[in-house]
Amino acid sequence: MYKAMSEIKPIVNALKRSKVGAILLMIQIMITTAIVSNAAFIIYDRSTYLQQETGYPEDEILYFAITTFGEDIDLSQLFEETETTLREIPGVIDAAVIAALPLSGSGSASGFDTLPHDQHQNGDNRNVRAAYTTGDDHVLNTLGVKIAEGRDFRPEDIVVTNDPSMLAKVAIVSRAFAEEIFPDENAIGKTFYSGNTGVEIIGIVDTMKGPWLKDSRPNNVIIFPRVEARMYQNVAVRATAEDRASVRKSIEDKILAQYDKRVVINMRGMDEAKAGYNAADLLMLRMLVVLIVVLVMITALGIFGMTVFNINKRTRQIGTRRALGARKSAIVQYFLVENGLICLVGLFFGCIGAYYLGGMLLREYSLPALNNLYIVVTALSVLVVSLLSVLLPANRASNISPSIATRTI
Amino acid sequence: MFWHYIDLSWRSFKRTPMVTVLMVLAIAAGIGITMTSLSVYHMMAMDPMPHKSSQLFHPQLNARDDGDDWWTEDNLPHQMTYKDAMNLYRADIPRLKAPSMRTGFSVNLNSPDVKPFIESVRMTSRSFFSMFEFSFIHGAPWSQGQEESAAMVTVISRSMSETLFGQSDSVGENVYFDDNVFQIVGVYEDFDYHVKFYDLTNGAFNRAENAMIPITLIPPLKAQTWGNTNGWKFEEINSYQDMLNSEQAWLQFWVQLDTTEEEKEYREFLTNYLIEQESLGRFEREEVHFALRNLTQWMTYNRVVTEDNRILVSASFMFLTVCLANILGLLLGKFLRRVPEVGVRRALGANKRQVFLQHLVEVGLLGFIGGIIGIGIAQLGLWGVRATYSYYSAIATMDISMLLAAPAIAIGACVIAGIYPAWLVCRTNPAICLKTQ
Repeated sequence: MYKAMSEIKPIVNALKRSKVGAILLMIQIMITTAIVSNAAFIIYDRSTYLQQETGYPEDEILYFAITTFGEDIDLSQLFEETETTLREIPGVIDAAVIAALPLSGSGSASGFDTLPHDQHQNGDNRNVRAAYTTGDDHVLNTLGVKIAEGRDFRPEDIVVTNDPSMLAKVAIVSRAFAEEIFPDENAIGKTFYSGNTGVEIIGIVDTMKGPWLKDSRPNNVIIFPRVEARMYQNVAVRATAEDRASVRKSIEDKILAQYDKRVVINMRGMDEAKAGYNAADLLMLRMLVVLIVVLVMITALGIFGMTVFNINKRTRQIGTRRALGARKSAIVQYFLVENGLICLVGLFFGCIGAYYLGGMLLREYSLPALNNLYIVVTALSVLVVSLLSVLLPANRASNISPSIATRTI
Repeated sequence: MFWHYIDLSWRSFKRTPMVTVLMVLAIAAGIGITMTSLSVYHMMAMDPMPHKSSQLFHPQLNARDDGDDWWTEDNLPHQMTYKDAMNLYRADIPRLKAPSMRTGFSVNLNSPDVKPFIESVRMTSRSFFSMFEFSFIHGAPWSQGQEESAAMVTVISRSMSETLFGQSDSVGENVYFDDNVFQIVGVYEDFDYHVKFYDLTNGAFNRAENAMIPITLIPPLKAQTWGNTNGWKFEEINSYQDMLNSEQAWLQFWVQLDTTEEEKEYREFLTNYLIEQESLGRFEREEVHFALRNLTQWMTYNRVVTEDNRILVSASFMFLTVCLANILGLLLGKFLRRVPEVGVRRALGANKRQVFLQHLVEVGLLGFIGGIIGIGIAQLGLWGVRATYSYYSAIATMDISMLLAAPAIAIGACVIAGIYPAWLVCRTNPAICLKTQ
């Protein structure tokens, strides 16, 4: 170590004579550090988002929609039969008509109250946003979520109607919603309001996400036991993961065989629906990964190229040093220390740059604040990469024969 | 002289193939990455109708109580209620105005030949076609009379006509939207823009509808929107009529105002309209609040260029800077090694300017090769974008301006990087160089 320090002075003197090359390298290291630490942080942020627990067995569930254009049939009756047909397909665990499909990016949300609408002026009402969907007593099993507290829907809870004013009187909610609308108390048996209609919470599910993972309240979900068969009707089917592909192929034929004045559209797995909703984030993630990898490679190549160039320029000096008794390790060390010095200065400014870039992204865009740990780790990695890129040419330099010095003088 | 310099550059490349390949790779990677994000940006930000975008306006009305917060930056809703859209549609001014709404049906011919398929359909007024310059290849938009009487007529796109009837001319044929028979009165050329700018509310890069029907059919068809519906107050909505009378916003509205006088007049009209609506007791406000944005302002307001894309564009330009610093360093080494040779040329009569130009031509050629390879890398990158995000498939492409920009940026960047090394070389004093040899 001491020996390395003692080399610093001549190295600095040598650097002073080729300032431009050193400054260029510093600039590269600086920008690389600033970009990579911020990009790595965005990548981490997006991949945490993409991998979050949704509460559903995503690889088991199939979504599709049926549009019925025949008007010579009772829709409610037809969908009753369709559900039965679907449940009988080998491999299917359960099936249900459902209003909004979780994780799909389309659905309904509203504010729900602790007081009926007519009494809002009299007291402290709490209004909580939640996504809501409707389904029958098969919906929880179809979505593969379990009741944590309270009970599942029973057939007598289900409101089957075509009248939009007929609302369900009970509901199963996600824990996040229960805790937000009734904090510090057990929500089972409590009543919340949609307009003036009271709804009793009969069951709580620990985790189930709504249709929009980017909603301000992605975890607040309400399921009402209600079936209103529509011309455009969403359907969910759960099959075992192995059978899903074969079930998927047979669904359309079975449905059209039952009644053919309808169209089956948008058949997709829940995982595909989620991937579709999140495709922009995956795109950003992939582009940033490519950017980081290529950027680090280019910087490493730059360092490599500069070192090769310096060695070529100094072949005679190296030969002379070797002739005067310098060990091979001393030659390698010289280049490592030289590059290390440049790199440290570049990293110093790079860290400052990364910090300000992070601050700017936070101000201008909807990104979370950069964790400074990312800057530290990036700086260390850049240092390692840069020393590794020096090592190869430096080793070659250490093999320069001392005779070269004598030969060309 | 230029070709001589090109020849010299080529010889120089061959003499140091390793460094040349490194430099070309650096510039190609820089251009490839930059052009990938820049092409997407370019397609997003491009003005789709440069000759008309300042005449097409999208009014927004704040028909809500004071203190009722909305999530947009200026607290204005993007869409309109049915009441407002219809009132503005039936108003005397301006001449061209188009309420519009996206819905959809299962399209069929009531025959086994064509399997029914789901298609989104736009409901709008006939002015829509001239405002957004749809070109009709057969027939014409429905007539004013048909619009007023809510006739079951439709105009469809060329591709829809070809899907249904195997030919572009299907005027006079009937088509079923769900169970309703519509008569085709016109066929228009497919809407061929990268941005579906007339309906940014439902996704700026979605596919355009392939069929349009009169807006006046909303009540008889009880048409459901295939887009967002936004409300702001509690209303009992138990029937379709309740929905039409409600304060729920679910329609888009466009007007064409050709002159600033017309714009001013329309602003006054909207002010008076809102005062009148307030007097009906629909909402309570201190002052009326509305906005009248033209097409380009509307695209900015709707953030057609995404935040992610802005970040990527700036990151890739920083990346390009790194590549340039890299090339500059390598050029410095390469050119300085050539000083003795330059000394000879100088001694033989080449002047500084010629030496300088020769070296700039060399870096320019480097940039050109790098730019061409960069286009290849960008194509690969754009293919990756399309494969990851099919929603971007129409915009993740390079148009001719981007194809030309790639080598231009590459050559420009390389020349900038080459100026300093070239200057160092041409400064060489021939006498000193000759002496050391």
